[in-house]
Amino acid sequence: MFRKILSPFARLFDLQARTHYRTERHSMALTFGIILAAGVGGFVEIAPLFTIDDTVEAAPDMRVYTPLEQAGRDIYVREGCYACHSQMIRTLQDEVDRYGPYSLAVESKYDHPMLWGSKRTGPDLARLGQKYSDDWHLRHLIDPRAVVPESVMPQYAFLLDKTLDTESLPARLAALRAVGVPYTDAQIDNAAQDARGQARPFTEGADGVIDRYGDDTNIRVFSAQQDRVSEMDALIAYLQILGGLTDAAERTQPAGAQDARAAVAGPAPQPTGTE
Amino acid sequence: MMQRLTGPERQLAMTLCVIVALVGLLMAAAGHGDPFGTHGGIVLIAACAAALFVLRAMGEPEPTEDRSRSYYDDPTKVGLIIALFWAVAGMGMGVWVAAQLAWPELRFDAAWSSFGRIRPVHTSGVIFGFGGNALIATSFHVMQRTSRARLAGHVSPWFVLLGFNLFCVIAATGYLMGVTQSKEYAEPEWYADIWLVIVWVAYFILYIRTLARRNEPHIYVANWYYLAFILVVAILHIVNNLAVPASLAGAKSYSAFAGVQDAMTQWWYGHNAVAFFLTAGFLGMLYYFLPKRAGRPIYSYRLSILSFWGIVFFYIWAGSHHLHYTALPHWVQTLGMTFSVMLLVPSWASAGNALMTLNGAWHKVRDDATLRFMMVAAVFYGLSTFEGSFMAIRAVNSLSHYTDWTIGHVHAGAMGWVALITFGSIYSVVPLLWKREGMYSWKLVEWHFWLALSGTVIYVFAMWNSGVVQGLMWRTYTDSGTLAYSFTDTLVAMHPYYVARAFGGLLFLTGAILAAINVYLTIRHAPAADPAADPASAPPRDRPTSSEAAEPAVPAAE
Amino acid sequence: MSVKERDPLTGHQTTGHEWNGITELNTRVPRAVWAFIIVTHVWAVIYWVLMPAWPGINDYTRGLLGIDQKDRVERQVVAADAARGVWTDRIAALDLEQIRDESMLMAHVDRTAPALFGDNCAACHGARAEGGPGYPSLTDGAWIWGGADDTILETLRVGVNSPHPETRFAQMLAFGRDGILSRDEVRILADYVQSLAGLDSGAGPARLDAGAALFSDNCTSCHGEDGTGTPELGAPNLTDDAWIYGSSDAALFKTIHDGRQGWMPAWEDRLTLAQRKMLALYITGLADAEGGPDGD
Ligand code: HEC
Ligand code: HEC
Ligand code: HEC
Ligand code: HEM
Ligand code: HEM
Ligand SMILES: [Ca+2]
Ligand SMILES: [Ca+2]
Ligand SMILES: [Cu+2]
Repeated sequence: MFRKILSPFARLFDLQARTHYRTERHSMALTFGIILAAGVGGFVEIAPLFTIDDTVEAAPDMRVYTPLEQAGRDIYVREGCYACHSQMIRTLQDEVDRYGPYSLAVESKYDHPMLWGSKRTGPDLARLGQKYSDDWHLRHLIDPRAVVPESVMPQYAFLLDKTLDTESLPARLAALRAVGVPYTDAQIDNAAQDARGQARPFTEGADGVIDRYGDDTNIRVFSAQQDRVSEMDALIAYLQILGGLTDAAERTQPAGAQDARAAVAGPAPQPTGTE
Repeated sequence: MMQRLTGPERQLAMTLCVIVALVGLLMAAAGHGDPFGTHGGIVLIAACAAALFVLRAMGEPEPTEDRSRSYYDDPTKVGLIIALFWAVAGMGMGVWVAAQLAWPELRFDAAWSSFGRIRPVHTSGVIFGFGGNALIATSFHVMQRTSRARLAGHVSPWFVLLGFNLFCVIAATGYLMGVTQSKEYAEPEWYADIWLVIVWVAYFILYIRTLARRNEPHIYVANWYYLAFILVVAILHIVNNLAVPASLAGAKSYSAFAGVQDAMTQWWYGHNAVAFFLTAGFLGMLYYFLPKRAGRPIYSYRLSILSFWGIVFFYIWAGSHHLHYTALPHWVQTLGMTFSVMLLVPSWASAGNALMTLNGAWHKVRDDATLRFMMVAAVFYGLSTFEGSFMAIRAVNSLSHYTDWTIGHVHAGAMGWVALITFGSIYSVVPLLWKREGMYSWKLVEWHFWLALSGTVIYVFAMWNSGVVQGLMWRTYTDSGTLAYSFTDTLVAMHPYYVARAFGGLLFLTGAILAAINVYLTIRHAPAADPAADPASAPPRDRPTSSEAAEPAVPAAE
Repeated sequence: MSVKERDPLTGHQTTGHEWNGITELNTRVPRAVWAFIIVTHVWAVIYWVLMPAWPGINDYTRGLLGIDQKDRVERQVVAADAARGVWTDRIAALDLEQIRDESMLMAHVDRTAPALFGDNCAACHGARAEGGPGYPSLTDGAWIWGGADDTILETLRVGVNSPHPETRFAQMLAFGRDGILSRDEVRILADYVQSLAGLDSGAGPARLDAGAALFSDNCTSCHGEDGTGTPELGAPNLTDDAWIYGSSDAALFKTIHDGRQGWMPAWEDRLTLAQRKMLALYITGLADAEGGPDGD
């Protein structure tokens, strides 16, 4: 019985074994065989991600990172924060309960590279923006254990002393545009001064940031230092925008339904099943 | 060593050094004030050091030996020593990284020593530094022996070996300076990536030309795997590292892909770095050194075919199991999960093939720690691939992902399989290369074996525990249907496991240090093998010959 | 080496090749491997048929079950929300005082609030809400904004000095930096504030008198005539032993010289009404347990 079921497979394999036996005498045949066998999978899985439309959701309100936030992102990459922090809330109930609406593909549409991460030594940061104050981030980055005694996160106090390199920002934004982020010429040309302006609300530079990136941009002294724009300013500016480029996730997901229900129903609401 | 090169070869080597030095000089000048410039300086120094070696040989008389009558083992020897250096450095870093998670203050008050910067020094140090050098060195050895032909070139092996190490040095120093693309296992920046492509093309050409010279009609299994390793790593590396630099005089670049496409490309790469770097290459090692040491024929040629093509074909599909439940579309996750499970068959077929090969040699496994290294490696290979396929199931991954369970799985594979097979191979090849009777001390080998095994077991069990505890705590609900633990609660629960892991790692590192010492002592002090005195112990015909085997008919199954 | 030897141990034939001493047997692929292949592949095919699996150019197969991870988790979240709704809806609807009287509801609060506090509040207010430099203790009963339930709930909803449009606004002016007071005056005030709280400032009566004068000129508009604070303005009581920023000379100098503007995040968009109520119940419960001045 078993043998019967097997026999077509066995014959197929015999054919393969014979083919292989001939192939293994020719190094180039082996080479092409390997390239072919190893080529299929990647192609089938990656290419359609560029062509199937609903891979990335539509989000008309999506904005790009400001130069200061992008500079902060570069520091996040440089320091290897992604080694401990994910930025990807999975479609699992406990993650939605803990971190908020699950992450959408569109939310990292301008992330070159993505920072989804593969390890959560620390908590997920995908929706961190505005969760804590600038001051808390500052203290936490200077010495995590001063605010969270159990923390195993490294100290990053030195960021406060390092003046942010803003001169390279136009070139950075230009490179990002080359890979598909829709920065305008004006945004690229003014990148350096916009970066400084965003962290110095009391200067005129701040106005340009509003013009080019919108009213909702966070314009503050992020690191409590008035005299210069430090790398700390940039990193905190980035942390405060995490999850804030678009509200597509909050808009499309039923999380928080309960609150809406309670507000509408007023006192003594009936526990309804679904939204 | 350069004395073995002919005049024109020395000139070629010199030219290459000068070109690389010029590139370094250019980088240093253009990238002033940027890590790019520092890297230029490192390139310049490395090229000058190599040039000095060549220069010293320039005046020497040319070699007179008939080179076609022997194998060219100098690059192998150097490669193995470098591999041992990286083993100690990379695992030392691993112990430090582990210690920082247990005692976060265990660092210097300097940016370079933070967890995020030294962690990739560990991963690249062990994977590329230790693993890569071991693969290159053993591949040179194995391809000559199984082809019965000398390496096809005398400068290119050095270019490959030293060029690859230049890449490793650029990578490791880069991380400490904060130069990284953040793509796991592909962190080095664009210029290092380009350099690796050049080195890798040279490696492929060298490999294929040596195979072309072979005096055997057939290509041995080990070489299929080495070849797959070289080819597929090249494809993966080039695609995943596509990026646009912000400036040609600066280190920073931005990935060509973004978001979900970038994630898929990264884990197509990341998973297959595991498959073709940490698995295929080392299977090449296993398929040569294990039967050689055991003195037994490979259990089944047909199983070899099945598992080889299975591994090459199925692995590629599995990358999306790193992205379960994420914003990657569900259909890709389904493919990743199903292919990962189907992949278990060829994986176990190759592990089984190795273990069955030991039938008739189990007494040797008992007595010979070197063979035991290889046997246990095959067992861990089977274990970690089973675990991997299990973790690739979405429901399981929902628990294991993001936790230390992944780290436990990684090290079952990395320490138990990759490192152990490498140490086994080193112990069997070193006496042969340096023409010694055996390793200087078999007792040290025995000690190393037990340290490595217990270190691995402690590490892996600690991480399994911590991963499962962490994963369960994250998803535990109270009777009210609300989350029971805060993130900080899990941090407290992790601490004892982090201490245990650091201890296990320390044992493993100690073993690696013993290996380095033993190899040094073997080269320096072990008695030379004397083929005349004891012909039985001398390796038969360790030189190129033409095969005496006639071409049999296509073998049918019995 | 002869062609196709037979291995004496297993009785199998070799393939007839030899590589530097290594030979290979031509053993058949064991049955178990075939069985294994069949099982895994059949399982995979079934899975592909049922679930979203294979891509085309513009679309992919949806699978017979029509399952997608996003729908699934949304259903789970909604269902869990509905299951909790049995009690969370009541919490959302009732006053805190009413909830405190219902031991059933309080049991849910006791189970839920600690982890919720740990994930959202502990970073600033400490694991046991004990506060720390810059972040008020929530257990000492000395409420900046007043200890009424609704006040606390409103603080949680809109935050203090937060980006929320309705945020509570509170600012301790930078008297020194902005040139309203000289450094010396700031130092005098620091001593005076210490004396208000009954701390030993080491200052003589003349200095304290000067302090009192400065205080009534500059500070009473917010902190009140007697320095006991004005909860409506978020100006804290300076006469008790509860300090946000500390009572040392250095801390007080910095407070008065540079000003303070504590930022308490708004939780309206992040936590539901029921969750915010549970947290309020939790911290007032802690404050009661501590038995602070207002705690009763
Ligand atoms: C060694 C691992 C590690 C590294 C590296 C690390 N972190 Fe953390 N991080 C943690 C841990 C553990 C926590 C949780 C405890 C705490 O709040 O400190 C945490 C918490 C945080 C939080 C608070 C999140 C929340 O929701 O409570 C932020 C923000 C943060 N880290 C940012 C960063 C940034 C930015 C970097 C890089 C510059 C970084 N981390 C690097 C481990 C790390
Ligand atoms: C980013 C830091 C931060 C976080 C996180 C935070 N708080 Fe606060 N909280 C503050 C600060 C600062 C103040 C003082 C505001 C002021 O100056 O009036 C405050 C004040 C309060 C007050 C008013 C105290 C009083 O005396 O009137 C309450 C109540 C409170 N927090 C509760 C919470 C709860 C509950 C959470 C979690 C959901 C939380 N806080 C999270 C920083 C924080
Ligand atoms: C405009 C209103 C206003 C005036 C005027 C004012 N304060 Fe304040 N003060 C506040 C507020 C609001 C806070 C709380 C700030 C916070 O929580 O971040 C505060 C906080 C303080 C604190 C810190 C208390 C602690 O617990 O750490 C001290 C001390 C203080 N004020 C002293 C003074 C003195 C002295 C003056 C007069 C020179 C003064 N204040 C004038 C509003 C005012
Ligand atoms: C001395 C023994 C070793 C110790 C103490 C050690 C320790 C560590 C630590 C602490 C981490 C970081 C885990 C985390 O982020 O939570 C890590 C990651 C890693 N190590 Fe090791 N390691 C050792 C040996 C090895 C070896 C021999 C290899 C490979 C050949 C290896 C490969 C890796 C890889 C690939 C990762 C990344 C895992 C991931 O991102 O999921 N390690 N190691
Ligand atoms: C059948 C074979 C294998 C399968 C199906 C497999 C599957 C997996 C899965 C599911 C993960 C977890 C992904 C996640 O949740 O993030 C993983 C991680 C990993 N595995 Fe395997 N594994 C296999 C074999 C191996 C082997 C032999 C090694 C050797 C070292 C290895 C090294 C790794 C590494 C380094 C990671 C961590 C990747 C990261 O940085 O996140 N795997 N593997
Ligand atoms: Ca990882
Ligand atoms: Ca790279
Ligand atoms: Cu994988």
